[in-house]
Amino acid sequence: MAQYLWNRLAAGLLVVFGISVFTFALVHMIPGDPVRMMLGQKATQEQVEQVREQMGLNKPLVEQYATYVTGIVQGDFGTSLKTGQPVLKEITNRFPATVKIAVSAILIAIVVGIALGMVAAKYKDTIVDRAVLTLATLGVSIPGYWLGLLLMLLFAVKWKWFPIAGGTGFKDLVLPAVTLGVYASTIICRLTRSGMLEVLSQDYIRSARAKGIDETIILFRHAFRNVMIPVVTVVGLQMASLLGGAVLIEQVFSWPGIGTLAIDAIFSRDFPMIQGTTLFMGIVYVSVNIVIDLLYGFIDPRIDVSQQKAGA
Amino acid sequence: MKNRLVTSPLLIIVCLLVLLGGCSSVSAPANSATEAGKPESTAEPKKGGTITIGYMDEPDTLDMYKSANLAAAMVGSEIGARLFYYDPKTQDVKPYLAESYTISEDWKTWTFQLQSGVVFHDGTPLTAAIYKQTIERALDPETASPLGEYLFGAIQSIDAPDDKTLIFHLKKPSAQLLTNLWEPAVTQPVSLAAIEKMGADYGRNPVGVGPWKFDSWKTGESITLVRNEGYQWGNASVKNQGPPLADKLVYKFIKDSQTMIAALESGSIDIAANVSAKEMKKYKESNEVTVLERMKWGSSFLEMNTENEILQDIQVRRAVNMAINKDAIVKGVLLGEGEIAHSPLPSSLFGYDPASAEYDYKYNVEEARKLLDAAGWTVNAQGIREKDGKPLAVELLSWDAWTRTSQLIQGLLKEIGMDVKIINLDAATVVDVAGKGSFDMALMNYTDNDPNALSLFLHSSQIGSLNHSRVHNKELDALLEKGSATLDKDERKKIYAEIQRLVVDQAYWVPLYVEKEFFLVNNRVQGVTLEPMYGFGLQDSWVKD
Repeated sequence: MAQYLWNRLAAGLLVVFGISVFTFALVHMIPGDPVRMMLGQKATQEQVEQVREQMGLNKPLVEQYATYVTGIVQGDFGTSLKTGQPVLKEITNRFPATVKIAVSAILIAIVVGIALGMVAAKYKDTIVDRAVLTLATLGVSIPGYWLGLLLMLLFAVKWKWFPIAGGTGFKDLVLPAVTLGVYASTIICRLTRSGMLEVLSQDYIRSARAKGIDETIILFRHAFRNVMIPVVTVVGLQMASLLGGAVLIEQVFSWPGIGTLAIDAIFSRDFPMIQGTTLFMGIVYVSVNIVIDLLYGFIDPRIDVSQQKAGA
Repeated sequence: MKNRLVTSPLLIIVCLLVLLGGCSSVSAPANSATEAGKPESTAEPKKGGTITIGYMDEPDTLDMYKSANLAAAMVGSEIGARLFYYDPKTQDVKPYLAESYTISEDWKTWTFQLQSGVVFHDGTPLTAAIYKQTIERALDPETASPLGEYLFGAIQSIDAPDDKTLIFHLKKPSAQLLTNLWEPAVTQPVSLAAIEKMGADYGRNPVGVGPWKFDSWKTGESITLVRNEGYQWGNASVKNQGPPLADKLVYKFIKDSQTMIAALESGSIDIAANVSAKEMKKYKESNEVTVLERMKWGSSFLEMNTENEILQDIQVRRAVNMAINKDAIVKGVLLGEGEIAHSPLPSSLFGYDPASAEYDYKYNVEEARKLLDAAGWTVNAQGIREKDGKPLAVELLSWDAWTRTSQLIQGLLKEIGMDVKIINLDAATVVDVAGKGSFDMALMNYTDNDPNALSLFLHSSQIGSLNHSRVHNKELDALLEKGSATLDKDERKKIYAEIQRLVVDQAYWVPLYVEKEFFLVNNRVQGVTLEPMYGFGLQDSWVKD
């Protein structure tokens, strides 16, 4: 078990290292001078040069990268070019808002997705099943951006139930969380439905029914537990990507999370901030995946994670 | 299975129609309100309430001397105050924090008498010494102020013999300095005591002498200011010279333009800043929303590299000027909501020469073709002109804000046999590349409150910097220097008239248009005006309910 954990951590570190190299290279390939952007048209060329030197932007790229990595190892993600604040401080300031929205969206997705999936499986090939499938198809194909605007127009502009860009309170949370939850819930719904259909046709379920066990108990205790593995995987993956900042949705709802921070950084060519947010998202993604892998063993004892090869 | 395939698309369409139906009725309130009758405007101004402004950008810092960001200046202009205010009607600077001022005969010693009783939000009284320290800090290289040198560079030294008297000793006479002193945000006094106390956090805890006091800044979300109860030094441009009426002023950062409109419609914000002409038109007839507009303090133009092999010929530059149909660009790009630029100065700026509307190049394709013929450019089989085997082909630097303008220009110049290749970069890169002179044509714009802005773009000392066109004209240099050093208003106006005539004659640029900015204000908030250049006039505004 410990060996497995080590292997997973090592593989995760390798991925994070890869992300750091890749974003560093990519960020420096974007055309545009961040210093000129920051100082504006009217600053003199000497001033621009001076600031560039102060920030170490005139040094060779390899040297800049080495300084960057050394900093990160010491917990220093650099300083934002735009605000002059430490990058890590800004990220940790914004992260709670992203966690809030991600957790709410996942909770909505789990409850709605599993419920609809089970109902659809139970009433297979009836009008109920078809309605659920249609909703699921709609949910997965509507772009989140568009759905967000639509919900906003209906629930905030027309009926004024919820505020827009109000802050990060409960009422502000509902619309973005629902928008994000819709996509994840459709995937969970489809997985639950197909998994349930497969399990429900198996012999042990027929035996259980023959014994006269209550249908609800069959559904929840006998069948559902066997559907959980793929569902947990998807929930984990969705959680990981949501925690990395739902960039578009955060933008649409002016949600002050990691996603809007990253977009802002890209538009203002804030190199350290772009690198910092991307790396942070990468670390979160990798960590959540490791946790999910470990969870399998608890959910289904037949899976022994320690027997698997690292990186599997 | 077959059955499901049939029902699903149908259901999708039905659902979509239901959703769209719900959505399309949303834009109705503005229209129905029009029919409902005129808004009541008879109500008396009253105290209290919150005014919420939606703005698309977040300030970098609220330390005004460390920022070149417009969002920062807009918020900062409410927190601070300045020596003068600008009266657009008379085009004069008028006293604000400076009660009076005198300028010596050689225009090099300026003496100001400061208003008494002005105090900072932290209780420190404003003295001439603080003003002196503020400006010295702005000029200190250690501050690395992006605008410090530009604003105060003309000052040699400053004296503060007593609390009320402030004396500037200038290196040379500067008319622009007087203009700079009314700039809404970036010449405000700041208390060094507060800066020392806060250290690096000052930019997020600013202290000023303005009508609004800084309260809080939620990163990525909003900045909240509260009424400065002690404010008693309002200027004569407003009725209310005491504390503002509303309790709070909130700036919310909304990056998405559709979210901005939805936020206004839902009542989450009262003012939507910088909305597009397209959005604005929907509210022109509305009784719930007032549209405010302001001509931009700057213009958009096409600059030509006069050291370029093709464009060094004045005839070619004049032909380009005649081939561009500015009217079509204003209609196509600005939806008609803007002005044609006749000269390098916008009509909103002091020094603009109205006669330029007469003498500028008029759209005339035939004349343009004749000019090119005379210059030896002949049309080849592909419709592109050639001279000595070389095609009349140029590259045009552009960035995303210019997409439609650049395409229209490309099409218009094709008409006279000029091949234009559009190179899309980002704004900062265009400024850099053009600064180095490695370009043919570029689209550019500026915003400024003084006509001396032209020095930045056209004086030979600025080659390698903002003089992208690499103009090296001794007559123009002399006029620009004279214009910046002349304090007499009428005389100065004449100099800029000459400058505009010369620049148009030499056809270094194609002045394109002056844009308008639009702001939507919910009628819940009354009395909102727009300040010259940027920012809002909120001193007489109040919240109805």
